[in-house]
Amino acid sequence: MLLRASGERDHTDYDLAAVTQNSGDTGVPHGDWLRKLVEAAIAGEWGALGDIRRDAAMAMGEQAAVDALTVAAAFNGITRVADATGIPLDTSTAESTVELRASIGIDDYAYAAKTERYG
Amino acid sequence: MYPPNTRLRENLREAHSATWQCIAEPGSFWRGTERVSMVSEARAALECSLCVERKAALSPNAGNGNHRCATNLEPVMIDAIHRMRTDPGRLTKSWFDGVIAAGISHQAYVEMVSVVNASVIIDTLHRCLGLELPALPAPIEGEPSGDYNTDAVDDGAWLPVLAAEQVMNEETRMPSVPYIGRAMGLVPSAAQLFFQTFRPHYALIDIKLAISQAQTEFVAARVSALNECFY
Repeated sequence: MLLRASGERDHTDYDLAAVTQNSGDTGVPHGDWLRKLVEAAIAGEWGALGDIRRDAAMAMGEQAAVDALTVAAAFNGITRVADATGIPLDTSTAESTVELRASIGIDDYAYAAKTERYG
Repeated sequence: MYPPNTRLRENLREAHSATWQCIAEPGSFWRGTERVSMVSEARAALECSLCVERKAALSPNAGNGNHRCATNLEPVMIDAIHRMRTDPGRLTKSWFDGVIAAGISHQAYVEMVSVVNASVIIDTLHRCLGLELPALPAPIEGEPSGDYNTDAVDDGAWLPVLAAEQVMNEETRMPSVPYIGRAMGLVPSAAQLFFQTFRPHYALIDIKLAISQAQTEFVAARVSALNECFY
């Protein structure tokens, strides 16, 4: 949802549906490389990630590849804080993203829905 | 903690070293040895066959047997840490209520969430850069302080959170203190520990990285989706 705000500041219409899908182009520069880095990192595919990191560094620059992974590492932690404390969306975000959440599947992750689904 | 050739910024290196040291110290509700055990247990979860079985099952409550554990933490803590580490997207309110009913206070739970997930950030970054995990810090003797925020409020989360006025930032369209910044507000030292680790990695605006804000938000959003995180 912050990607949408970022797009508005950049006057760029990113395809947000591609965020929740396993393929697709959001329109973010080097999105393919960022996707590969993140997916290998979160899946814990460390061997593959070494090769991806090297290739991504050639495409985007070494510092950019490292920075992308620092962001991924941070969100691998903070998403767990949110999930473990059951915090709701901030009111402004909840109000401004009703259609977006439904259309790209984020509502499936809502804590009430998970409790209903998994007990 | 990190070799000099890893292209990590100095403030991040310093923050992670400080976090590692802080984990070893007595917290507000856990001793240093227990906090270090939490990190050890989070690592053991990645090699746990019960966690693998549960992750692949339709229900997060499937699977028999015991966790492959590395510590003598209480079983309820071991289960909580393993679930948080390996299947965070399927944590539920009823699961959380079970942890509390088993005798873990809200305050102790918050501190555990902070310690485990600060270590998740540090361990993930090491793995991402092809580095060995850092050696566990040596626990420091001492008793927990028992300090917590008596002004925390019930405001829609599973446990009391930091009370904060919701002033909107027009640029980010987020409150001045977003909910995630309030989530561990019941135990200020826990919030401090986690966010001192997290903060050098990310900013809501004007990010000082070699990737743009939009690229940063895409990475963050993709991680959230893969971890099935609603927030």
